[in-house]
Amino acid sequence: MSTDRRPMILMTPAMLWLFGLMVVPCVLILVLAFFRRGVYGGIEYTVTLENLALVFDPLYFKIFLKSAGIAGLSAAIACVLGYAAAYAIAAMPRRHQSMLLFFAVLPFWSNYLVRTYAWIVLLNREGLIVNLARWLGFEGELPSMLYSEQAVIIGLVYNYLPFVILSCYAPLSRLNPDISEASRDLGASGWTTFRRVTLPMTVPGIATGFVFVFVLSIGNFVTPALLGGGQFQMIGNLVYAQFLTANDWPFGAALSMVLIAVMLGLLMLQAVVAERASGRKGAQNG
Amino acid sequence: MTQSFLSIKDVSKTFGTVQAVDGLSLDIRKNEFFALLGASGSGKTTLLRMLAGFEDLSAGDITLEGTSIAGLAPNQRPLNLMFQSYALFPHMTVAQNIAYGLEMDRLPKAEIAARVNEILEVIQLGHLAKRKPEQLSGGQRQRVALARALVKRPKVLLLDEPLGALDKKLRSEMQLELKRLQHEFGITFIIVTHDQEEALVMADRIAIMKDGKLLQVGTPHDIYEAPQSKFAADFIGVMNFLPVEKKGTNFVGADGSVIRSESVTEIAKNGAAIAAIRPERLHVTGTGENQLSGEIAAVAYHGLDLLLHIKTPLSDTPVISRMTADEADGHAPEVGQSITVQWSAKDTHIFPN
Ligand SMILES: Nc1ncnc2c1ncn2[C@@H]1O[C@H](COP(=O)(O)OP(=O)(O)OP(=O)(O)O)[C@@H](O)[C@H]1O
Ligand SMILES: [Mg+2]
Repeated sequence: MSTDRRPMILMTPAMLWLFGLMVVPCVLILVLAFFRRGVYGGIEYTVTLENLALVFDPLYFKIFLKSAGIAGLSAAIACVLGYAAAYAIAAMPRRHQSMLLFFAVLPFWSNYLVRTYAWIVLLNREGLIVNLARWLGFEGELPSMLYSEQAVIIGLVYNYLPFVILSCYAPLSRLNPDISEASRDLGASGWTTFRRVTLPMTVPGIATGFVFVFVLSIGNFVTPALLGGGQFQMIGNLVYAQFLTANDWPFGAALSMVLIAVMLGLLMLQAVVAERASGRKGAQNG
Repeated sequence: MTQSFLSIKDVSKTFGTVQAVDGLSLDIRKNEFFALLGASGSGKTTLLRMLAGFEDLSAGDITLEGTSIAGLAPNQRPLNLMFQSYALFPHMTVAQNIAYGLEMDRLPKAEIAARVNEILEVIQLGHLAKRKPEQLSGGQRQRVALARALVKRPKVLLLDEPLGALDKKLRSEMQLELKRLQHEFGITFIIVTHDQEEALVMADRIAIMKDGKLLQVGTPHDIYEAPQSKFAADFIGVMNFLPVEKKGTNFVGADGSVIRSESVTEIAKNGAAIAAIRPERLHVTGTGENQLSGEIAAVAYHGLDLLLHIKTPLSDTPVISRMTADEADGHAPEVGQSITVQWSAKDTHIFPN
């Protein structure tokens, strides 16, 4: 029976790693969120719900909603662009597909900060995009695109697009071509086939991509800081500030906790979507 | 009666350098159960896909009731294809799968429901209407795929190896089932199969395909009793082959004996040829213009009949003679025994080799 233990042994290092870097911090946050901030920073060990209540204070909750809005919009845009790209790649001859995927994911292998700084160069008042518009004959005063909500969304979409391409490509490439042909054969047009067969069967890839971009975007603090230029705060910046400048760890922890709860909820939703589309779950009868 | 219904005219299909279908012409009659039979790679699937509209024709034309359908998209053709992989929609229930094609025809909801229920009754899967394909057995999926195509009442139903994935027992059940459904619905069936027995059992007519061409088209009886080529003779059923040589007007076997035949296919002068005889035409008792003697190498018992494997100088491989249980009664042949069998000239086919 010793062979039965082998998987356990193989899993142990990864489990320890996850435990040390995921579970422990999460538990710490969970605990911290219910203590009071000390008068001079630090932590006072009296249990309180104040921090959690503060998260839902309109002042902060507005930031929460705004972040969710930006993350949601970024995720939606990334899904549309990413799905279209993945669809095009999956429609190519097999031998070209891995090459195209490689190029789609290529930016990923360079540094996040470098890529974000590159957008500063592109978007600023004398940047490439403004100059290009001038060169094309666009007259008049052009606003800087930098340091705006749009710049943040552009940055987030750009950064996370490869994830979405990969997550959408997976189910698209696995689709049996017979199935869309069967739909055509039964009288459906190309568009109807896409809407009623291809899309529903590949929705799990979109859901995965959406949740991924949303979760990474809502907690992101680098892109809002660099491309948003401190014009506004996202929840990630707020958490960052609580821990590193305001020195209010319990409130930072409370904010993080709510954030984690939102993410977990989304991940669960995504799992349900995947399950449904696979046809494994559904009404059963007899 | 033999008015042209579905007409395939000089159709070719090339993929790069591969000639998948090569100048093929075929007329299929209304309400016919037609089987396409051929070895792997002979172009059967390609032909069906051209009929369904998934492959363009490289040359030729296809007409249905006199009008060309070659330019129509798959969703505009009154033909339906049942895929070898079944290609059921995994995210839809059995009922939704079957209703899909009717929804595409924009039928009223009530009629769709009625027709789905009706066909579920016919394939005896009413109790599984709300299941997803994943929760069905292979045989059940096959029936759903069939129902999904049939419910549209197409003019022609194309079936690409519909029984390929089923085990032997289920296969023979489904063969009868298909036959019954075809009769009940009065739809023309064109079925592709690897399995010659299946074709013989089910089809009104059979076409044998090889290298993208038709070798022979005919009723199962014609194809079995009067094959027109060595390939066709070999492909269908069991066949004995004896190498012969043309000497003057006679055909002479390997041991020098003359083999008489009333069915000789055109052969080059003095060319090598081959004589083909079915095992059930070699008689231990009775008479015939031809005969051969040899030693029994093996006896294979099949219940209804015995197959005698006879070693003879006429051929390298043993000749097989079929004996009915009645004939074998009393004097069952034994291995090692010498034996003489006779057969008639009209049961001997001679082909170029
Ligand atoms: N899309 C394609 N591209 C290139 N060659 C193809 C394509 N489809 C079929 N062929 C070739 O055409 C020939 C006929 O193929 P087809 O699938 O029609 O044979 P088949 O009779 O259905 O064989 P099987 O009994 O194995 O299903 C084969 O040589 C095959 O390799
Ligand atoms: Mg095939």
